[in-house]
Amino acid sequence: MTEKKPIELKEGWGFMQNGIDKLIRVLEGQPEEQFNAEQYMSLYTTIYNMCTQKPPHDFSEQLYDRYRSSFEIYIKEQVIKSLLEHHGEVLLKELYIRWQNHKLMVRWLSKFFNYLDRYYVMRHSLHTLKDVGLICFRDRVYEEIKKQAKDAILRLIEREREGELIDRTLIKNILSIFIEVGTGGMECYERDFEVYLLQETASFYKRKAAEWVDQDSCPDYMLKAEQCLKDEEDKVEGYLHTSSKPKLLKEVEQELLANYETRLLQKENSGCAALLRDDKAEDLSRMFRLFQRIPRGLDPVAEIFKEHVENEGMKLVKEVTEATESKKEKEAGKGPSKDSGTPYEQQYVRSVIELHDKYLQYVSSCFCNTSLFHKSLKEAFESFCNKSVAGASSAELMASFCDNLLKKGGSEKLSDEAIEETLDKVVKLLAYISDKDLFNEFYRKKLGRRLLFDKSSSDDHERSILTRLKQQCGAQFTSKMEGMVTDLALAREKQQSFEEWMRINGKKLRIDFNVTVLTTGFWPFHKVVELALPQEMVDGVELFKSFYETGNKRKLIWYYSLGTCHLRANFDPRSIELVLGTQQAACLLQFNDSEQLSFSEVQLRLNLCEDDTMRILHSLACGKYKILLKEPASKIIAKTDTFSFNKKFTSAQRRIKVPLPPVDEKKRVIEDVDKDRRFSIDAAIVRTMKSRKTLLHQQLVLEVVQQLSRMFKPDFKLIKKRIEHLIEAEYLARDKDNPMMFQYLA
Amino acid sequence: MPKSTVKLVSREGFEFIIDYKAACVSNTIRNMLSSQGSFTETELGEVKFPEIPTPILEKVCQYFYYKLRYQNSTTKNIPEFQVPPEIALELLMAANFLDA
Repeated sequence: MTEKKPIELKEGWGFMQNGIDKLIRVLEGQPEEQFNAEQYMSLYTTIYNMCTQKPPHDFSEQLYDRYRSSFEIYIKEQVIKSLLEHHGEVLLKELYIRWQNHKLMVRWLSKFFNYLDRYYVMRHSLHTLKDVGLICFRDRVYEEIKKQAKDAILRLIEREREGELIDRTLIKNILSIFIEVGTGGMECYERDFEVYLLQETASFYKRKAAEWVDQDSCPDYMLKAEQCLKDEEDKVEGYLHTSSKPKLLKEVEQELLANYETRLLQKENSGCAALLRDDKAEDLSRMFRLFQRIPRGLDPVAEIFKEHVENEGMKLVKEVTEATESKKEKEAGKGPSKDSGTPYEQQYVRSVIELHDKYLQYVSSCFCNTSLFHKSLKEAFESFCNKSVAGASSAELMASFCDNLLKKGGSEKLSDEAIEETLDKVVKLLAYISDKDLFNEFYRKKLGRRLLFDKSSSDDHERSILTRLKQQCGAQFTSKMEGMVTDLALAREKQQSFEEWMRINGKKLRIDFNVTVLTTGFWPFHKVVELALPQEMVDGVELFKSFYETGNKRKLIWYYSLGTCHLRANFDPRSIELVLGTQQAACLLQFNDSEQLSFSEVQLRLNLCEDDTMRILHSLACGKYKILLKEPASKIIAKTDTFSFNKKFTSAQRRIKVPLPPVDEKKRVIEDVDKDRRFSIDAAIVRTMKSRKTLLHQQLVLEVVQQLSRMFKPDFKLIKKRIEHLIEAEYLARDKDNPMMFQYLA
Repeated sequence: MPKSTVKLVSREGFEFIIDYKAACVSNTIRNMLSSQGSFTETELGEVKFPEIPTPILEKVCQYFYYKLRYQNSTTKNIPEFQVPPEIALELLMAANFLDA
């Protein structure tokens, strides 16, 4: 191999410098040919040779330095000068061109000087050629120009915000410089640009927001706010770096929304409350979307929502109360009041259902089913559902509403599906009522009456509502009611076997006798009324007793007040079939023997108390059908009245029902429920103490309340009383040292 | 990217026509070819190596193909690349120059 003459530095470098100058000329756009392969090769070879020469001709270091200085010279002489001449948008354009050029230059030169990269740089752990180029640019150009560039860009962005169209690609390119100059990290971008961007954005929107809040209504403001947010997002897509997006949006949200949130919501005619009132679903959804972005932004909205729903509910309560009050005044003195089946109260329940549906719809559609709003809805409903309406509690009203739905001839004539739906909704509303056990009692009573008097319109519906109640409130809630329904089926079977038995044993009765056997525990009746029955019925009773005792060891208790009787009454014009209660029938049958009877005589013969006798006679003599004649003929029964059979009575129908108005059981029901509650509280206290052994008074109360909350809300004073009671009964003891602590006594 | 061939010219003027891909095994050649702005359209790129003698350049081309052939092969029986010791030194220097 021939020994080549080592190339001297000056000579070699001169050759290189020519190449570099040529490159610069190309970059500056001056007429110059592109490099061809030969020139490339010779430049590369020169470098190669200079680096592989034996020292002291190993010029790697010098070449490295001169590489760098060639950049610096170029930048100083040409680039900076041209950049400093321009401003604003033109500056940005120029900057971009320069940057592109610079990159090109780096690429070419590093290709020429490539050999340096391979060995020299590695060996001495220096920056690669590319990095050197970048650093030069950064230190010489970027540092000088960055402030002006940043200002120019922000100016452009502001113009865009005001509605002008700007050159987005330009901005994007310039920002890419910022990013690339940061050599991998975002610090340059963030420090030199982003910070200012965020500041600018904040102040811009501060101004705008102040303007708009004064001028615009809430929905308009929200529209604008949404638009701004979209624009800013657009900007990020267009030319900002994605990392800026959350920060930028946060600034906007802060200025537009967070700072003015309360003001917006409270705005008189267009704030949140107004939107709810006017049912502006779209605006509400927008409000939700916007305020969802800021932390805790939704809390005030939920508050207002809750208030509104509560107000609507209270309005309904007031309406109904007023309507029934006025009606009651009109009807004062008409006789014993019926229990809450009046149309107003039914309407109330229906309106509550509608209200609930409506706002549930809101929560699911406008408020995207957020749990926060569900909670507000729940609290609002709980607050007004537990207020008493027209003297009755909501629990009672709901029970009567269900009764209406389920009985024959109820005021609702709906299709099966509609009934199912409504039942479903009522059960849902039940969740809001705190006195669930009250509902249970009322419902049970009405169910009992429906089942016994065969007033239920559909067995299926009965069962379906029971399943729903079971799902909602637990099996314990519905166990008794289910028992009732099954009892009826069993009783029918029993009746059939009774008839079989009669046939087999050749027994006969003068009347058709039907017995329904029920299980005491399930059915809510208490008062046993002694009734003196006419002989025919007594026979039947005895016969059934003997039948029953052949199979069972259980005792039968007879409830005559719940039975029905079909009598054929032979009036002068014609005979009519009467459907009455057993007691009424017994009373009427007295008149078979005597023409006229006084009140006291009737009472004696029937062996009933005064109130009951009054009611019975009232229904027969003063009701719609005057089957008995009363002297004196007034509307009220007095103890001195006398009664006689009205032979002349007639009616267009062949069969009439003579209803016996039931006693107002409301008070009774409430008393019963209270009694049950006392027991439940006792049981809960003992249960808690048994597991905890010792507990502070406050904690005990809390535990008990929690346990019982499924059925009802216990009164604190009541709990305290029960605790005292249990202490006396030696279930608990007060701790000697701490009077607030209790101990369980086994 | 030119999908065709490249001509490598040795010191003595011998022309070796090889695939573009083979030539790119050498980083030097690759850089050169890619930075030629006006190169994309031409069919035949030509690179002159006034330093490299012909037999060396020939061996270099053979190496390019060898490298390409067994680059992605995972089998263990890759045949050895034979280098006659006389040209070993010059070959080494050429390899250094070409970064291959």
